Amino acid sequence: MRRKINVLLAVLLAFALVLTGCSSSSSSGEESGKVVLKFLHKWPQPEYAPYFEEVVKAFEKENPDIKIKIEAIADEPIKDKLRVILGGNEVPDIMFSWSGEFARKFVRADAALDLTPYLNEDTAWKDSFIPASLQPFTSNEKNYGIPLRFNGKFFVYNKKIFDKYQLQAPTTWDEFIQVLDTLKKGGETPIILGNQSPWAAIHYLTGLNQKMVAQDVRMKDYNPKSGEFTDPGYVKAMEMLADLNKKGYFMKNVNSSSHDMGQQLFAAGKGAIFYVELEEFQTIENNMKGNWGFFPMPSIADGKGSQSFITGAPDGFIVSSKTKHPKEAIKFLKFLTNKDNALKLVKQIGWPSPIDGATNPDTALKEVAEGVDYMKKAEGMAEWLDTDVHAKVADVYLSNIQLLLDGSKSPEEIIKEVQKVAKQVQSEVE
Amino acid sequence: MTKTFRNSRTAILFILPALLFILFFVFLPIVLNLYNSLFRWNSFDAGRVFVGLEYYGRLFKDPIFFTALKNNSLYAVISLVFQVGIGLIIAAVLEDKLIRRFQPFFRTVFFIPSVISIAVVGLLWQLLYNPEVGLVNGVLKTLGQSEWALSWLGDSKIAIYAVVAVSQWQYTGYMVMLFLLAMQKIPFEYYEAAMIDGASKIKTFLYITLPQMKEMILVGTVITVIGAFKVFDEVYVMTNGGPGRSTEVLGTMLYRAAFRNDEMGYASTIGTIIFVVTLTLSLIQLKIGKSGQEV
Repeated sequence: MRRKINVLLAVLLAFALVLTGCSSSSSSGEESGKVVLKFLHKWPQPEYAPYFEEVVKAFEKENPDIKIKIEAIADEPIKDKLRVILGGNEVPDIMFSWSGEFARKFVRADAALDLTPYLNEDTAWKDSFIPASLQPFTSNEKNYGIPLRFNGKFFVYNKKIFDKYQLQAPTTWDEFIQVLDTLKKGGETPIILGNQSPWAAIHYLTGLNQKMVAQDVRMKDYNPKSGEFTDPGYVKAMEMLADLNKKGYFMKNVNSSSHDMGQQLFAAGKGAIFYVELEEFQTIENNMKGNWGFFPMPSIADGKGSQSFITGAPDGFIVSSKTKHPKEAIKFLKFLTNKDNALKLVKQIGWPSPIDGATNPDTALKEVAEGVDYMKKAEGMAEWLDTDVHAKVADVYLSNIQLLLDGSKSPEEIIKEVQKVAKQVQSEVE
Repeated sequence: MTKTFRNSRTAILFILPALLFILFFVFLPIVLNLYNSLFRWNSFDAGRVFVGLEYYGRLFKDPIFFTALKNNSLYAVISLVFQVGIGLIIAAVLEDKLIRRFQPFFRTVFFIPSVISIAVVGLLWQLLYNPEVGLVNGVLKTLGQSEWALSWLGDSKIAIYAVVAVSQWQYTGYMVMLFLLAMQKIPFEYYEAAMIDGASKIKTFLYITLPQMKEMILVGTVITVIGAFKVFDEVYVMTNGGPGRSTEVLGTMLYRAAFRNDEMGYASTIGTIIFVVTLTLSLIQLKIGKSGQEV
């Protein structure tokens, strides 16, 4: 009998060993007295990742007692993974986040650290940012995020094609339609759109919603606690987008081409106009060598929203509320956003920096500097629709926009679904 | 204490580790999943709100759920026809005396797609299906069938068929391989006897090959049907449920609920339903096939 118990114990022990072997292989926060910070960003691409590696190396050199572990997850997967990571035990101290609702849902769950005291403590740091870039990261007057980039959306156009038809960059929607009509009649593809990932068309709707709906109404609707989406402007905005497609101004098969492919088509001169982010300007310039210009979304005469907003938003970093080293994390963020590194960001990878004065014609591409100027002068920013509303509302918009463009759903049907889910969200968000 | 009794105790002792593993990693998650589906919660917020069976009610009113069910069933039916039906025919043809010499070649060719990782296959077919630069439309246009050159993954009415077709391309060869193995285990004497009796090739196939392969065919159907209801990667990589929600299957619907919409409770509900569906289907199939009994 005793022997049997021994065998049983041995088996259980082996089992327990296997189990423990699976879990917790590492969890030593400090190695040899150093503070270790985990830093999660979203640029694993070889053209961008070295920037972060170099900045981290420089920081570690200046602060030998802090070690930073970098991790990078690409744009699309990070939307999902960030949520899972935040629920786990090994939460990064500093992590990427979009501004707006995307960050606010982490704030509501007490997962993001309130950075207001740190910003107020060092006003020089706070004042170094363009104010419009800090604002989208606030919730109830408190700052939760530090912007890294200041991104805007603009239409770029092929100069050669525009010159051929003697066209000017349009400033009003009516002019815009006229331009498109001329191009269409001339046998050109007026607009390139790669909507395989539906954010591409959502960026159109981001601007159209903002221009068509009064600011206070839109803000109330975008807030998960009070969203109703009953303003007729939302339907009108979708109709305008659908019209661009119905009249044949978009290229064919928008839903089965990717944005990257769109970029190649634009570079090859296969279309006249393409809607891109400021961060893509450098790539466009590399491909087009000066044969391009840009303009913001034209103003709409009967729109109820402000016509001098620019579509776009900053994105940057939030600090985990679970971090054991908030001071060190802030120290790193300050280092990352100091003037030298902001200039490095602009020069090395051509991204628009939210640090006032960092993006100027000497450091950046002329067009990028002009784009940032547009955003500085703008009355406000229309933040990306897919990160500015509650995730569930965004999901309804994202999945339906493809159906709007292939004609299988009408704007009225879509807005009804949006209203329904907004109501559901209202009851769930306290 | 008899010897047999003692033996069986030792046997239980040996089974114990495996049993514990299964309890911890299979049965416990199933029960936890059921429990989790009763709460509104997400992965990063500590707060949980008890909602009871609310999510089950919502699921059965959710039109996307029925789209997903329809797509999964479509997946199952088409996979049965191609992977089991046509796979069986291909296997029989390859086993035929005339072609047998070339069998290793064909077997390899048919099998290769199933060893490529799904992420690669998905990206590959995304390119092949591309309406402007893709091979599929290129071939169709060369053949003069321009009206068939469609926007395969971009049209909400046909996208699901395009996705299902990729699965057939990938896994039919795998089934052929399994069927060939089973066919080669059938004793040759049966065929000799049939030949002496003057049975035609089709009759031999129907009355000897098929009944002898019953077990393997059953395994094949169970694998394909359950696979069809658990499918996720192909759809996720190629269309992510789009355009709109037209290619949504239960797997992608679960993923969307859990990781996009922060509704872990709803995702658990969908998970429970997938479990119930696959369990029922495999029980039915085992019942029909009376697995375990020799013919």
